[in-house]
Amino acid sequence: MVSSSCSLSLISFSLTFLFFLSPALSTNSEGNALHALRSRLNDATNVLQSWDPTLVNPCTWFHVTCDADNHVIRLDLGNSNISGSLGPELGQLKHLQYLELYRNDIGGKIPKELGNLKNLVSMDLYGNRFEGRIPKSFSKLKSLRFLRLNNNKLSGSIPRELTALSNLKVFDVSNNDLCGTIPVDGPFSTFSMESFENNKLSGPELQGLVPYDFGC
Amino acid sequence: MHFVMGGNTMSHFMLLLAILHSILAVAPGDNSRDSNRLLRIKSELVDPSGVLNSWSPRAHICTWNGLECSDDHMHIISLNLSGSGLSGPIPHELWNLNSIQTLDLSLNSFTGSLPSELGQLQNMKALLLYSNFLNGEIPEEIGALKNLQILRIGDNLISGVIPPSIGNLTELRVLGLAYCQLNGSIPVEIGNLKHLKFLDLQNNSLSGLIPEEIHGCKELENFAASNNKLEGDIPLMGSLESMQILNLANNSLSGSIPTALSQLRNLKYLNLLGNRLSGAIPLELNHLVQLEMLDLSRNNFSGSMQLFSTQLKNLAALVLSDNALTGNIPRNFCLSSSSNLQQLLLARNKLSGEFPLAVLSCSSLQQLDLSDNHFGGQLPASLNRLGNLTDLVLNSNNFTGTLLPEIGNLSSLENLFLFDNMITGGIPVEIGKLQRLEAIYLYENHMSGPIPSELTNCSSLTAIDFFGNHFSGSIPATIGKLKNLVVLQLRQNELSGPIPPSLGYCRSLQLLALADNKLSGTLPPTFRFISQLSTITLYNNSFQGPLPQSLFLLKNIKIINFSHNRFNGTIFPLSGSSYLTAMDLTNNSFSGPIPSRFSMCRNLTRLRLAHNHLTGTMPDEFGQLTQLNFLDLSFNNFTDEIPPQLSSFKKLEHLLVNNNQFTGAIPPWLGSLQELGELDFSSNNFHGTVPADLGNCSKLLKLSLHDNSLSSIIPAEIGNLTSLNVLNLQRNNLSGSIPSTIQNCKKLYELRLSENLLTGLIPYELGELSELQVILDLSKNSFSGEIPPSLGNLMKLERLNLSFNQLQGKVPASLGKLTSLHMLNLSNNHLEGQIPSTFSGFPLSSFLGNDHNLCGPPLASCGDSEAQRVKRLSRTAATGITVAIALTSTAICLVLIYIMLRIWCKWRKVSISTSDGSGGKEEKKWGFKNEKKRVGEYCKVNSVALVPSETAEMKKQKSASFYSTSN
Repeated sequence: MVSSSCSLSLISFSLTFLFFLSPALSTNSEGNALHALRSRLNDATNVLQSWDPTLVNPCTWFHVTCDADNHVIRLDLGNSNISGSLGPELGQLKHLQYLELYRNDIGGKIPKELGNLKNLVSMDLYGNRFEGRIPKSFSKLKSLRFLRLNNNKLSGSIPRELTALSNLKVFDVSNNDLCGTIPVDGPFSTFSMESFENNKLSGPELQGLVPYDFGC
Repeated sequence: MHFVMGGNTMSHFMLLLAILHSILAVAPGDNSRDSNRLLRIKSELVDPSGVLNSWSPRAHICTWNGLECSDDHMHIISLNLSGSGLSGPIPHELWNLNSIQTLDLSLNSFTGSLPSELGQLQNMKALLLYSNFLNGEIPEEIGALKNLQILRIGDNLISGVIPPSIGNLTELRVLGLAYCQLNGSIPVEIGNLKHLKFLDLQNNSLSGLIPEEIHGCKELENFAASNNKLEGDIPLMGSLESMQILNLANNSLSGSIPTALSQLRNLKYLNLLGNRLSGAIPLELNHLVQLEMLDLSRNNFSGSMQLFSTQLKNLAALVLSDNALTGNIPRNFCLSSSSNLQQLLLARNKLSGEFPLAVLSCSSLQQLDLSDNHFGGQLPASLNRLGNLTDLVLNSNNFTGTLLPEIGNLSSLENLFLFDNMITGGIPVEIGKLQRLEAIYLYENHMSGPIPSELTNCSSLTAIDFFGNHFSGSIPATIGKLKNLVVLQLRQNELSGPIPPSLGYCRSLQLLALADNKLSGTLPPTFRFISQLSTITLYNNSFQGPLPQSLFLLKNIKIINFSHNRFNGTIFPLSGSSYLTAMDLTNNSFSGPIPSRFSMCRNLTRLRLAHNHLTGTMPDEFGQLTQLNFLDLSFNNFTDEIPPQLSSFKKLEHLLVNNNQFTGAIPPWLGSLQELGELDFSSNNFHGTVPADLGNCSKLLKLSLHDNSLSSIIPAEIGNLTSLNVLNLQRNNLSGSIPSTIQNCKKLYELRLSENLLTGLIPYELGELSELQVILDLSKNSFSGEIPPSLGNLMKLERLNLSFNQLQGKVPASLGKLTSLHMLNLSNNHLEGQIPSTFSGFPLSSFLGNDHNLCGPPLASCGDSEAQRVKRLSRTAATGITVAIALTSTAICLVLIYIMLRIWCKWRKVSISTSDGSGGKEEKKWGFKNEKKRVGEYCKVNSVALVPSETAEMKKQKSASFYSTSN
């Protein structure tokens, strides 16, 4: 019969120290960021099975593409039956150019840290369950050309800061729950109205006449 | 002598007579019944060690092993067979031994359950059946044992509930029910047990509340109910003044700690770890002056830590890790004269502020864990006051400053964990004084300077991890003094120079990680002595020369990564270990063949030999590597055919043999490798067909067969590759048309079929590939017919190359909707008619070579040809109609021109980052949309077209830029 009540506390001590017995073998930040992402996702069809965090870098993981310097430049998880949410760690993929997470069942807010992806060319989050606002931090994505956020549950207004994205060529927020007015400056002068349909948007912004979040 | 002997014998004889007399006297009483019972019991038991051998009718029952009779030898009062190796079902006859007061069968292997007859043993005072394999439930009748003082039946397979009748056992002192499968709640009747001192319910599945009635157990000293499913508040137990040990760990208790707990003045041990308790830790706990051990870890306690070692004078261990505590440790936490605190564990809270100097007064402290908090500021020099410290765990905070020489005074230190902070400066030479130091983890800091050779005086060291700092200079030449070193992790520093030969004398070394440094030179032959070595990673250095032959003697190596160095010569020395699981030699100058000995490494999962000068062919024996998951032989000089033995690589996910001189056919058995995700056979001398069997590789993501001599058709089975992202078949001799099944490859984002002999129409179905993004390249084939308008559905397509084909007809207007397109090449076809207006920003080169029938910007305007056609029509028509048509068309033209001008103005050019994926070569070759921007050349048009500041001159400049070709 095990009756010692003291043994438990000793276990808790020894556990604390056992934890450190394995030194940092894998400490590449991009691999860690992706591995953290994996832990937030529910991967019904095992598309993330090959994501082994003990490898030196994530460049041989499926759905991850690296450049010659072993920096992650593409993440291709479109149409992959994944659910869950995104976290701030994705912002650590500083070299990422293509973030393809379209047509899944990912929910929650779009992390503002995605604004740190300075090399991002394309962000395809369309066809998910993202909610909350479009982060203002996206105005820092100076390389961004394609931003497709359509078919989600995004709300709030379209941040005016996005008019600073001088390279933006495609902007699609149709089929969301956005409100306020549509910006007219910068790249927004070129986007067709189809990019904005099926929202609660109240038409193009009339500069200086009404606040941009009018009707929100 | 003789006489004495005789007298002795005589006295023995007399004694025997007396015993015989007494036996004869009792024989007819209880004992004969009991002895018969016990003999039956014996017959039912399995007794491998013969502890019951003395149980024989020839001996008096009171002499039988384990039995104790009453003083008058009339009754059996005790049966103790504890730890006797007995097994078998617990004998039923036991429950008829009415006189028995103590029954101890603990620590055996009895099976069966407790019967209701148990209640007959009215004299029973102690029943000890713990640590057997008893099952079933505790019978309600147990409550009949009115005299029972000790009941210990834990560590069995007993299930069911604790019967409420247990409350009838009012004489009970000890109740042990731990390590069973009891469920239900703790009965409220437990409160009737007024004399209970010891209550152990640990490791069951008890649920519900801890009953308030527990306060009835006035004499309770030890209450342990850890590892159950108890919930609700901790009941008020303030009246249980005898309590010394209270262990409720690992339940689901919630609420806050009742301040009444502080009335348990005799409490020595309080363990509430692993519950859902919240709120502040009550100040009143400081009244528990007898407390020696307090563990509140893994709860949700918040607020600041207001416990004081100055009041808890006997406290030896304080564990508050894994909570949400904030603030800092109180300033007067310890007084050096009185503190007994040995363990202070506060890891994974939200504590902040400077290093808590108060801790330095806890002069008995042995283990200090402040890891994973928000502490900052400099590490104090006076750390050395903690002369008894064995474990200093400060990792994952924001500590700055340097490691001071005073660290050398912590002469008991065994573990120094400072990783994941912002510590700068070097390692003081005084570190060498730490003779007991076993592990030093400084990784992920900003430390610099050399690794002092004094470190190698720390003869107890087993683990060094300096990963991710800026240490420079060379690895100490005396490193070989560390005979106990198991882990040497120096990755990602600025170390230079060669590996000192003495490293080979670290004979205990299992992990050697020197990657990502500036180390150079050859590997010393002394490496052969590190016979325990299991992982060696040297990648990204400048090591050179051939490998010492003696590396072959390292029989335990599992992981080798020598990639990105300048090693040369044969790789044979690396084939000695049959435990190898992963080897990466990418980007060196190794030459010679792959030794067939590698086929002995049956657990090999990753083999990467790319970018070397290896020759020969893949050894046939490789077929034995059935665990292989990743095989990369690309960029070598391999020749011959791919051996069929490789078809046994059933777990293979990556197979890369590109850029070699392999010949023969692409083997059809590749279709049997169901796990394949990446297959690259490009840039070899493969000929023959694209095997239809490849369609079986349903998990394939990337298929590259380009730059070979493949002929015949693209098999329709390509459409079975529904996961495919990238398909590259360019620069082969493929003929026939694109199979329409390609529409099933819905995940394709890159499709390259250029420079083949493909014919026929471009299939309409290509328009189904809506995720096409990087490129659709069909150039330099013989496609004919019109461009299918469905290509206008490829909304994400960024590059489209249809040049050098036989395409005819108009450019479909739908293509104008391809808003993502920034490279377009339709040149050298037979296209005609108007170019979609949105293409006007592309350079001339995108459209040249189309028989002069193609028109519209950036080519010549369509105006003239349109007019001519109108003229031709007019000749065959009545003049009136002609005039009408001319008028109407003029009006339409005017409107069109106006609209086009508006659209042009709205069109904004988009720059292309030069870092673009498949880069430079294509940029020169074909049409980029003109991206050269000049300040102010934007056409800033709102949807309302309010451009008052825009002058005509600026507009001219802008449209000029549209027409200029790139570069």
